[in-house]
Amino acid sequence: MNNTSEQVPVTVLTGFLGAGKTTLLNRILTEQHGKRYAVIVNEFGEQGIDNDLVVDADEEVFEMNNGCICCTVRGDLIRILGGLMKRADKLDAIIVETTGLADPAPVAQTFFVDQDVSDKTKLDAIVTVADAVHLSNQLGEHHEAEEQIAFADIVLLNKIDLVDDNSIDKVKARIKKINPYAKIVKTNRCDIPLNEVLGLNAFSLDRVLEVEPDFLDSDHDHEHDDDVTSMSFVSETPLDMDKFQSWFGNLLQTHGQDILRSKGILSFEGKDDRYVFQGVHMLMDASPMGTWPEGKERNSRVVFIGRNLESMGLDEGFEGCKLN
Amino acid sequence: MSDREKFLEQKISYLEPEETELEGRGKKLEINAPVTGAVTIPDAVVAGFGDGTVRFFRSDETPKIIDAHNGVVLSITTNGSEVFTGGDDGRFLQISPDGTIKEIASFGTRWVDTVAATKDSIVCSSGKNAYLWSSGNTKEKILEHTSTIGGMAFDRSGKRLAVASYGGVTLWEQGNRRWKSSRLLWKGSHSKVSFSPDGKYIVTTMQESELHGWRIRDKVDLAMRGYPAKIKSFAWVGDIPHLATAGDHQAICWPFDGKDGPLGREPVCVADCGKKISTFIEPLTGEKAIFVGFNDGTVLLSEVDDRKNPFVVRNPKGYEISAISLSSDRSYILIGDLGGNILWSPLWAN
Repeated sequence: MNNTSEQVPVTVLTGFLGAGKTTLLNRILTEQHGKRYAVIVNEFGEQGIDNDLVVDADEEVFEMNNGCICCTVRGDLIRILGGLMKRADKLDAIIVETTGLADPAPVAQTFFVDQDVSDKTKLDAIVTVADAVHLSNQLGEHHEAEEQIAFADIVLLNKIDLVDDNSIDKVKARIKKINPYAKIVKTNRCDIPLNEVLGLNAFSLDRVLEVEPDFLDSDHDHEHDDDVTSMSFVSETPLDMDKFQSWFGNLLQTHGQDILRSKGILSFEGKDDRYVFQGVHMLMDASPMGTWPEGKERNSRVVFIGRNLESMGLDEGFEGCKLN
Repeated sequence: MSDREKFLEQKISYLEPEETELEGRGKKLEINAPVTGAVTIPDAVVAGFGDGTVRFFRSDETPKIIDAHNGVVLSITTNGSEVFTGGDDGRFLQISPDGTIKEIASFGTRWVDTVAATKDSIVCSSGKNAYLWSSGNTKEKILEHTSTIGGMAFDRSGKRLAVASYGGVTLWEQGNRRWKSSRLLWKGSHSKVSFSPDGKYIVTTMQESELHGWRIRDKVDLAMRGYPAKIKSFAWVGDIPHLATAGDHQAICWPFDGKDGPLGREPVCVADCGKKISTFIEPLTGEKAIFVGFNDGTVLLSEVDDRKNPFVVRNPKGYEISAISLSSDRSYILIGDLGGNILWSPLWAN
């Protein structure tokens, strides 16, 4: 039971060392915005910001013994969020900075797995700060850089004054290829209004309804098996609920480790409601979200971001869920 | 809120059940911060709060307020006479019955998450280290662990300290000259920890909505599972003890008598509260009975006997019970919740 008030939004800030996360955190802590933000930091030490709302954390990734091999959570986050929720003063938001080489999945999964965390806080969005100069190289060399882009709801392409337009277009195309659903904002010193980074509500099922991906050409020539890519499917034909659940459940069981994020809106035969889901690896939040708007065509849309998507038989699988 | 919702809310408040006996004769305080814990010293019950205050409750006096921490009182314990607290301001404090504060240590931006104390030793944890002060030594001993400490407990002798963290428990034993450690392993993240009163078992609560125990002598594992929620509280009850645990729609009491404790045996389930989840357990000193607090603020009193009916000590107020403590002479009870509501009441009718 939780009638204390609404959940406190938590923004996850990822990005490689030197991309500009600290610049953004400094702005969040020092700007006159009239809000109370707590910041959970990992590699902040030398900056020496004296603020009682900065909390030091050691990133501790715990495996959960729930039979799900890729289900890891951030133990330190469970502890710290629990402590912050006992404060007498109300926080407007919490920002979690991850270390440069961190995989964002355990942070996101913490909000699916821990009951107290999900009762009292909610994952707002994953914000990735990327260095416009170095991102291309980093993507080639570190799978963590790819994951940070893959998980992002918004990418701040920072330090753009150091690169020419042509390079910017190239790096944007690279980001889009990994994650066509992330919003890309060009910045210098993270000069973006804070309300465009905080309070995005990107993980709410409501927002999934707004997903209008730029559907890409299915041109997958020059990729290694290891590259993170995305695939999306649309169907005008209603889906069979049983078939979909069985296919999708099995897909997450067998390929959940490679599927980083997934989301979709589903039109089931015989159901008036729109069904919406969104997930991180094997963990899923799903719910009916009211009836289809009148006059608008009913169709199902599903998107996946992950590795080795081509080998999962997604096309045939999704096709098989359609009503015969 | 719409007018309709306002109206409904009003209506609901009219429908609230009448006060219980204890509510009727007790003091009700609304403090603007969650109650984070409470302990009993000889002449008072002492509660810690999310606004950094510690309050002393003594019979019918007005509670004495001490501004202790600049932030949340994360942990509170006692050595029988003094109170010790850890805060998210990084300080470990000793608070005397007269309210005098002494700072034992400060860890800056690192929180002091857990504390424990006996007559002779006090210990606090900050991050992965435990800092132990033993009587006769002014310098603390640092006990290192490989992950952040979730909970600590001394046994009754005070010569053994159990420290729970990721992967199990580190058992520290005081030898002639130094503290030696051994490990009790079990996969997963462990937080609260306790020795059985006879010192034969160690039990922890886990991230996974289960308990784990070890028989110390031979490190035999005891898995206690089947809970719908995380176990936030447990307590030993009775001379041949049951371990009474929260985390279910009732209190689950595991038998620790006999040679093998709960191995292969069924728990006794008491104080059923429908769909509510129990969040706090406190024994009624001297009886085989427990107070069970729930996530909606209900508190029931029940014998550890599934043939007996529980009775309602406090009605729901909408907030999770986070503290229950009896005064040392059993004359008063303190009940606190995460909404900052305190009930301080004479336990018995005159």
